[in-house]
Amino acid sequence: MKDQIMAPDTVAADIVVSGRGVGKTFADGSVVALKNADFGIKRGSFVSLVGPSGCGKSTLLRLVSGLIAPSSGAVTVHGTPVTGPRRDISMMFQKATLLEWRTALDNVLLPTEIAGTPTQADRNRAMDLLKLVGLGDFAFSFPAQLSGGMQQRVALARLLQTGADILLLDEPFGALDEFTRERLNTELMRIVAEVGATTLFVTHNISEAIFLADQVFVMTSRPGQVAKIVDVDLDRPRPLSIQTSPAFNALVADVRETLGAV
Amino acid sequence: MTNATLANDARILDRIIRFVPHVVLLGLLIGAWELGARTGLITSIMIPRPSAIGGAIVKLYVTEGTIWRHFFVTLTEAVVGFAIGASVAIGLAVASSLSEVFKRYVIPYAIVLNVTPGIALTPVVIAWFGYGMGSKMALAAILCFFPIFVNTLTGLVQVDEDREDLFTSLGASRAQIFAKLRVPSALPLMFAGLKIGLTTALIGAVVAEFAQATDGVGVLMSRFSFQLDMASSIATLLSMTVIGLMLFYTMEFLDDRIVFWRRESRRAAASRAAARTWSGQAGK
Repeated sequence: MKDQIMAPDTVAADIVVSGRGVGKTFADGSVVALKNADFGIKRGSFVSLVGPSGCGKSTLLRLVSGLIAPSSGAVTVHGTPVTGPRRDISMMFQKATLLEWRTALDNVLLPTEIAGTPTQADRNRAMDLLKLVGLGDFAFSFPAQLSGGMQQRVALARLLQTGADILLLDEPFGALDEFTRERLNTELMRIVAEVGATTLFVTHNISEAIFLADQVFVMTSRPGQVAKIVDVDLDRPRPLSIQTSPAFNALVADVRETLGAV
Repeated sequence: MTNATLANDARILDRIIRFVPHVVLLGLLIGAWELGARTGLITSIMIPRPSAIGGAIVKLYVTEGTIWRHFFVTLTEAVVGFAIGASVAIGLAVASSLSEVFKRYVIPYAIVLNVTPGIALTPVVIAWFGYGMGSKMALAAILCFFPIFVNTLTGLVQVDEDREDLFTSLGASRAQIFAKLRVPSALPLMFAGLKIGLTTALIGAVVAEFAQATDGVGVLMSRFSFQLDMASSIATLLSMTVIGLMLFYTMEFLDDRIVFWRRESRRAAASRAAARTWSGQAGK
C-alpha cells in the first residue's frame, strides 16, 4: 500500500475522487472496457489519462461523471458513491457541443438555466468567465461566427460556469491544430490553477499528458486498465520549453515504456 | 453615413444589373412565342399567343375580376388544409419522439399513407366530405402530412449524442432536454418539411377541385379548357403560381426569422440585439 505513510484522516480529506476495483463491460459482458481500476485523486490536482484507443480512458471518465454506471467496484466523489450526474462534477467533450441558436454568453449560461432561473449575478459571472478565456469581445457572437479554438474556449467557460470543483475533460482540444492546442493547454493550466479545481484530462498525446499533469494514469488496452501511475514533479508554471528538458524526456520515456511493454 | 449610403446604392445597382439578363431572356422567349403564333408556326388554338393570354389576364383579374372569388377559395382550402395536416403531423411527430412504443405503432400507418398515391384518394375524399371546400381541405391535409411528419420526427430524434451527454451531465430533466435541445435542433428540418408540405397542400386543393367542385381556380381552369378558351385557362393557371409563391415566401420568411442562426445576416442582427439587451440590463 503506497498510502500507508499518510495518516488515514489526511487521506480521506485529501482524496476527492477515488475508485476501488472499478470495472466496466459492454455488450453482455463480452467487451471488457475497463478492468479493476484502483485510484485516488487529490484535491486540486491535475490528472491526465493517457493511452491508445480502446484502453478505456473515456470509459473511466464517463464512470466518474456518472453518465454510465460501473459493472463492478465503485467510484467515490467527496466521500459519496457516484450514482448519476451531479453538480460538483462537470464535463467537457472533444466537440465544443455548443448550441448554435444561442450566443456565446447564453451557451455559457446553459448550466445555470438547467439548474434554475439565471440571475443578473449569474449573467455577470458568465461574462467574467468569457473574459477569463479571452472571449469578452465575442459574448454576443453565435457559434457559427467563432473558430474551432474559440468554440472550445466557450465550452471551457461553460464548464467553469457550473461551479463544479471536479472538471472532466475528454480530449477537449483533440480536434484543433497543434498551435491552437498548445495555447489552449497553457491557458487551461492557468485557469484551473486559478479556480482551484481538481481536473481529469483524457488524451492520447503523451507529451500533452505530462506537460499538463501532476499525475499521469498510463492506461493499456485489451482489457482496458490503469497500468501505471506516474508522478510529474515538475515546477509550475511550466513554460512550453520544458518539453525539451531532460526531466521531461525521462517522464516521456517512462510512460512510453509502460505503453510499449504490454 | 455617406459611405454607408454609397455602399447601399452600389448594392442596389448591382442587383438591378444582375436582374437585367433575366428580363431580357424572358422577353426574348415571349417574343419568339408571339412571333411563332403570329406566323402560324404554333397552333394558336391549343397554345395561345402571349398577347391573348395578356388580354385574358386583364379581363379576369382587372376589368371583370371574376378570378378573385375563386382565388380566395383555393387559397383558403390550401391554407386550412395545410394547417390541419401540419398540426396533426407535428403532433404525431412529437408524440412519436417522446414514446418509442407510440412511434412503433404510428410509423407503419405513416408509411402506408406515403406509398399510397395520395391523389388517388380524391374520389374517396369527395365522397366523404362532399363537393364543397371540406373535401379540398381534407386532400390538402392528407397530401402535406407525410413530409412534415417525417422531417419533424427525424429532426427531433436525430440529436447529437455529445450534446445529449452534455445535458445529462448537467442534470437536465427530460422536459428540459426536449425544450432546450430537441426542439431547436429539429426546427431546420421541420421547416424544410413545412415548405414541401405547403406545395403539396396546394396540389391537393387544386386536384380535388379538378375532380369535383363548384368554386376555386381549379374549377375555373377546367371550365375554360373545356370551352377551348386556352388563353383564359393559362391566365387562371397563373393564379395558382401566385398562390404558390405567396405561401412559399410566407414560410420562407418565418423560416428566416425563427431559424435565424442559419443565416449570416440574421445572426448578425441577433448578435446586435443581444448586445443591446445586455447594455440595457447593465445600465439598470
